[in-house]
Amino acid sequence: MAWPAAAFAQDSTRVYRIFWVSTDSQPDPFLAGFREGLRARGYVEGKNVTFELHYAPGNPQALREVVSELKRGNIDLAVSSGPATRAMTAVTDVPVLFALSGDPVELGLVKSLGEPGGNFTGSTFLSLELAGKRVELLKEAVPTVRRLAVFSNSLHPGEQSEWRATREAAKALGIETVYVPFAGKSELDKGLAAVGDAHADALLVFPDVLTLVHRAKIADFAIAHRLPSMFGWSEYCDAGGLLSYGANQRATYFWLATYADRILRGEKPANLPVFQPTKFELVVNLRTAERLGIDLDKSSVLFRANRVIE
Amino acid sequence: MTRPRRSLFMKYFVTLFVAVVTPLVLGSATEAWFAFRDNRFDLNELLQVEARSAADRIQAFTDGIRDQLGWVVQFPWTAGEDDRRRIDGLRLLQQVPAIVSLSMVDPTGTERVFVSRVSMNRTGRGADMSADPAVVGARANRVWYGPVHYQRDSEPYMRIAVAGNRAAAGIVVADINLKLIWNIIAAIKIGDTGHALVVDDSGRLIAHPDISLVLRSGAGAGDFDRLKSVVNAANGSAVATTGEDGKPVVALSVRAPNVGWTVIAEQPVREAFESIRAALWRSLVLIAIGIAFAFVLAYWRACRMWGPIRQLEAGVERIGMGQFDHRVTIESGDELQQLAIRFNQMAEELGASQQKSERINRLKQFLAPQVAELVEHSDQRLLDAQRREVVAIFGDLRGFTAFTARAEPDAILAVLRQYYEAIGAVTARHEATLIRFAGDGVMVLVNAPVACANPAQRGVRLAIDMQAAVQSLAGAWNARGCAMGFGVGIAMGPATVGTLGWHERLDYTAIGNVVNLASRLCDLADDAQILVDPVVTGHVKDSIALASIGERAIKGYDRALEVFAVVRSAGPLPHLDCPLQPADVRPVEAGFGRMASKLSPADAG
Repeated sequence: MAWPAAAFAQDSTRVYRIFWVSTDSQPDPFLAGFREGLRARGYVEGKNVTFELHYAPGNPQALREVVSELKRGNIDLAVSSGPATRAMTAVTDVPVLFALSGDPVELGLVKSLGEPGGNFTGSTFLSLELAGKRVELLKEAVPTVRRLAVFSNSLHPGEQSEWRATREAAKALGIETVYVPFAGKSELDKGLAAVGDAHADALLVFPDVLTLVHRAKIADFAIAHRLPSMFGWSEYCDAGGLLSYGANQRATYFWLATYADRILRGEKPANLPVFQPTKFELVVNLRTAERLGIDLDKSSVLFRANRVIE
Repeated sequence: MTRPRRSLFMKYFVTLFVAVVTPLVLGSATEAWFAFRDNRFDLNELLQVEARSAADRIQAFTDGIRDQLGWVVQFPWTAGEDDRRRIDGLRLLQQVPAIVSLSMVDPTGTERVFVSRVSMNRTGRGADMSADPAVVGARANRVWYGPVHYQRDSEPYMRIAVAGNRAAAGIVVADINLKLIWNIIAAIKIGDTGHALVVDDSGRLIAHPDISLVLRSGAGAGDFDRLKSVVNAANGSAVATTGEDGKPVVALSVRAPNVGWTVIAEQPVREAFESIRAALWRSLVLIAIGIAFAFVLAYWRACRMWGPIRQLEAGVERIGMGQFDHRVTIESGDELQQLAIRFNQMAEELGASQQKSERINRLKQFLAPQVAELVEHSDQRLLDAQRREVVAIFGDLRGFTAFTARAEPDAILAVLRQYYEAIGAVTARHEATLIRFAGDGVMVLVNAPVACANPAQRGVRLAIDMQAAVQSLAGAWNARGCAMGFGVGIAMGPATVGTLGWHERLDYTAIGNVVNLASRLCDLADDAQILVDPVVTGHVKDSIALASIGERAIKGYDRALEVFAVVRSAGPLPHLDCPLQPADVRPVEAGFGRMASKLSPADAG
């Protein structure tokens, strides 16, 4: 919708305070996407908006202090990504925007996707549903897959459900799975080593901030171990992953910025439906395929790809 | 008299004002009305085009999906081709972004292939869908459009089913995410803030530029249903109503026939009539300027008209009060100035006329009324000094001085009043000039200032009448015991006549020997006698009987002069019964001598 320019000018003297709450660590690509979205809507950091960043890597409990600060302070909006959202459920009087992999209705954040009805709204990535789809696509690209290593940050909430969905899909497709969890950044290398020892012939990596930040390392590891890899977001493929399937992260955070804008203008989160991505990108990195010696020419994956990296 | 002080001013002012303002207001009102009509028409057109375009694009969207779906049901089902069908399905998903998943159903109604963007694909014998309304509907009509439903209470979805040409080709059922229509609707901008929206038959929102309204899973359907029914009632023309956000809008609806949806194009009233409002404001400003201009112009014009008229009115008032030197100054360069010039001329002429009438009033002291009238209409120079032939007549009461010594002042004045009246009447009758009364003496001129024919005769006749009139008065006076007589002297000759005196008091008089002579003759005359000099005698001897009384020495004359007396008519004069006493005569003569010098102040010189 077009907004009258005057409405914005009216509040231009005000500086909005936005709390950014995350259990991940910096650098934070989601924050970058969100900031970009706000800039596109005419917000200038330091002039009419300030960010207060609160990170508690892998420790949602540590965010409790943040929440109490949030209750005290004169905060216009809180934005939480991923697991941090859970810690925010205690917040009732400040609008909270979230970006979740899981189902916000199930988590009790909103009454329904269409009408959140409270002070929470945001976006859900439908990760759970897509978990099975990723296995299916990997199998289609590399029909010879028998043993799949599933690499997951165990500190990422909802990871267990995602793992269950993945396991069931793999079972249906006749694929054996090796679950390789790691607890945060410190265990990342150890986890990768475990993958190397798993004797798997393919790798599935759950999307989360930590693996996203270290996507190049993981992708290189997969190539080095000649493992066809499947990821959740296209950024992984750009870094050398073989396949990715999922919603466009940037677009999602961009959309979140739109909601932030509307809330700062006075709309109630209760009336802003939780957004679900419509487009799912299948990205194929042919260079990686070539390096792994995989011929995708006859696979249906190629024509279904939204983007092919050559 | 109460004067309507500003009525002319108001009339002029109001007339001029109305004359300017009325056409202006009428013109602007007409202009505004036509502008409004055109604006309304244009708005209707615009909304219709936009709504129609949106409906067409939505139709194209669903038709496109239908056509694409038709492509996978071209061939009849054969055994063992599930995988090929699956590839077809995947390619279709690739081709049509709005399709989230699709099921391919074989001629028996069993699902054989299911492909999805989100869920796991399935191939091989699946669920029995022969009772599914989509399958039933497609079998019956080849194409079936399902109702809108909201997936996970949020996103609008609908199912489209297409059957092949032959039953053997089976049926394809696709799940469509209607969120993708958003691109179509969001792209429609009507003016700056106008937009299009799509609702289904039950008023549930399918597409709106603000996607968050759509994602509320049909919440607020009541508002949209009301909007839809109001707009539908207008039957394809724009109608002003309340929009979904409670603001007044102008809206128009068009139906997308294949899916049975209603496309509503709407624009906020504020914006829709922006141009007409601007035009109205322009008109109002113009009218205001026009009114101010008309006001100033009318006031100025009315002042220009009213001011001179006031001036003229004041002028008339002052002229009325006798200020004939008052002049009106109007420099308007038009008829009013002309009127002022005429007014000034009139004032001037009135002044002249006033002077003239003053002169005439003076003349009337000396002249008979008819003579005065004559003088009034003749040359002013009549009174100027000149030398001319005049007849001078002097009369004098005999015994008056003695009378005054005895009588009461009231009686004296009564006698003199009667005497003057009689003399005056006679003089007037004979159109002679009464120069002066002085006590009991009187001086009359004939042939000056007004010339007359045969002045000598006229003078003698005047004298005779005068004598007769006074004698009849004297009879009455004598009866009351006051013996008085009357003697007259007439002489004719050249004299200088003209006005004499100073400006406050001017007298007309004659100077010359003839005056002295007439005075002397009067002195010589006995009671009831009229003595005439030789010149007059020469003129009248043929018509009036005169008798010489012999030569007499006249003071101021070297030699004696023959003097004539008018022969008295038959019949005794009343006062002859009472002859004058010599003792009485002397003081009378002495008195007259004094008076004669008064009457002719110039005779001594």
